[in-house]
Amino acid sequence: MTSRIDRISLLAVPGLAYLAVIYALPLLILLAKSIRTPDGISFAEYAAFFSDDYNMGVLLRTLRVAALTTLLALLIAYPTAFAMNRAKGPMLTVFLVAMVLPMSLGVVVKAFAWSILFRANGFINTSLQWIGLTEKPVRMLFTETALVIGAANVFLPFMVLPIYAVVRQLDQRLPEAAASLGATPFFRFFHVTLPLTLPGVVAGSAFTFSMAISMYVIPSLIVGERQQTLSMLIARSFLYLRNEALGSTISAVLLAIAIIVVVFSSWLARRLEARQ
Amino acid sequence: MTAEKAPAGRHYLDVWGVAKSFKGTRVMSDMNFRVERGELVSLLGPSGCGKSTLLRIIAGLLDADEGSVVLDGRDITRQPAHKRNISVVFQNYALFPHLTVAENVAFGLRARGMAKGATGAPVADALALVRMTEFADRPIAALSGGQQQRVAVARALVVGPDLLLLDEPFSALDRKLRETMQVELKSLLLDRGITAIFVTHDQEEAMGVSDRIAVMNAGRIEQFADPSTLYSRPASPFVMDFVGLSTRLEAVSKGRDGDLTVFDTAYGKVRAQENIPAGTRALVGVRPELVKPGEGENRIATTLADVMVLGSKTVLHGGAGEVDRILCELPGIRSGMARGDKVELGWAVGDTLVYGMAS
Ligand SMILES: Nc1ncnc2c1ncn2[C@@H]1O[C@H](COP(=O)(O)OP(=O)(O)OP(=O)(O)O)[C@@H](O)[C@H]1O
Ligand SMILES: [Mg+2]
Repeated sequence: MTSRIDRISLLAVPGLAYLAVIYALPLLILLAKSIRTPDGISFAEYAAFFSDDYNMGVLLRTLRVAALTTLLALLIAYPTAFAMNRAKGPMLTVFLVAMVLPMSLGVVVKAFAWSILFRANGFINTSLQWIGLTEKPVRMLFTETALVIGAANVFLPFMVLPIYAVVRQLDQRLPEAAASLGATPFFRFFHVTLPLTLPGVVAGSAFTFSMAISMYVIPSLIVGERQQTLSMLIARSFLYLRNEALGSTISAVLLAIAIIVVVFSSWLARRLEARQ
Repeated sequence: MTAEKAPAGRHYLDVWGVAKSFKGTRVMSDMNFRVERGELVSLLGPSGCGKSTLLRIIAGLLDADEGSVVLDGRDITRQPAHKRNISVVFQNYALFPHLTVAENVAFGLRARGMAKGATGAPVADALALVRMTEFADRPIAALSGGQQQRVAVARALVVGPDLLLLDEPFSALDRKLRETMQVELKSLLLDRGITAIFVTHDQEEAMGVSDRIAVMNAGRIEQFADPSTLYSRPASPFVMDFVGLSTRLEAVSKGRDGDLTVFDTAYGKVRAQENIPAGTRALVGVRPELVKPGEGENRIATTLADVMVLGSKTVLHGGAGEVDRILCELPGIRSGMARGDKVELGWAVGDTLVYGMAS
């Protein structure tokens, strides 16, 4: 029995080796650079990073944008997952293609498409003016709002698919049982449907949040240099400032956030599953 | 709709003129079904005959296309399920997997707005009723099938429903446990005077548990009667076949002979009281325990195809053909008969069931 398990776990060796060389090793080197100074090991770079108001502003903006992106994606994805669960045959195919196809389009193409949508004489502004909601074009491109909307769009499939997977497993008789026990639709949602689909929400939110805090191309294209995010700051440190210590420090901060998100969400998912 | 009205108040539950289609396919039309207060009623029928559909319409989980449902004088046809005060025990119990046993039982009380602190006593009572007190804090996944069934019953009863609906509540249990649970549940419901409707496709279960049985076939009720009437006087060949096995023979009426009608069958002449015109095709039947070797006014001769010694009874199988079947059940273990023996079997004229066939 044990030898069987051992042999099966050997199958993981190529994957682990690949991860060690391509992922873990460079990351370790990077981390090492953030604490190695000419005077030996020191956390001075970190102290400097956290005491700088500008850096803290970027950190907060990055977290805020990621949180809002996750929230927006969740609000759109949750009902979508239920609609997909209802859809049958060709309609379901349409849904799945609509989810997957945009992923193959590439972020750059999409970002340029949005700039057409968001710019001063773009579709949204023309419509707003035509309805009479605004007199002058509203500034949308280069704002955080546009960034959140765009990012939520890109990451939507990563939110929808985990939720859809859970919704599909949901026993339809559970809400019915709740109804026959006197539960209003509202009570049913908050005491049956939502708790049972929460593992999908947690998984989708963890995916979306960790991708949103580290996104680089989308903010570069939508908001540009004016409003930096952590990833842009990292790129700038390495590429323009040639400050490897700063770059690797910020990378470590970003990595720490990502690890916290992953650990916390898998702890939460396990807890939710243990209850079921 | 015309201004017809259901006769309110006459029956406790009055399902009246109900019709239902799924995507243009009629599965139920002009269904009429009435249950009195405190009755235990079974819906018995083959798979797909519409038992669950009727139950779901009564519970409000499905909308009827036509007709109405009246409960205790209230027209509940357009009321959503959560306002009807009708509890349902589902086939696989549909317990909430994210809640403990006690939380499952408390669900209906909480949904009705009872404070969390107040649910303790009624939940404890309900769990004691189904003897699940010591499992209160267990998660659902840690329970056996029979235990889950008890929790489902406790959850349904704790809210004090006006009507309890059970959709094949025992089908996931093994035979022994099923029989125990049937007895337990029946006495529980009788003690508390609860009106209940069971769905089942097991005729023994229906006969053991209920005051009256509605035998359903293809979206219609073929007969609605107490178990003994249903068994001794089935209203149609379908009911005769579905409720218990019986001897059944294709027959042709030869007309009256005094007070009786004489029928020709492949195994001999059979007499019965029903007046069936000469030349009409018919089906004659008799319950197997009423058939005796060498006794009775009606006699048929057959070769035994099988002799099954079952312990409490011995069953003789005879007859052959698509329709014809001869069954004789004798109490206890009988030896001295074997496959291939030629026997004469008989029964009383008064026990003969006759169904004229329009053709
Ligand atoms: N949601 C549905 N969509 C389409 N057809 C349905 C639906 N529900 C039931 N039917 C059809 O209606 C008929 C009656 O179904 P129902 O579930 O009431 O049968 P049943 O008597 O409960 O059978 P079983 O003993 O197998 O549970 C069947 O022919 C079934 O295929
Ligand atoms: Mg059914």
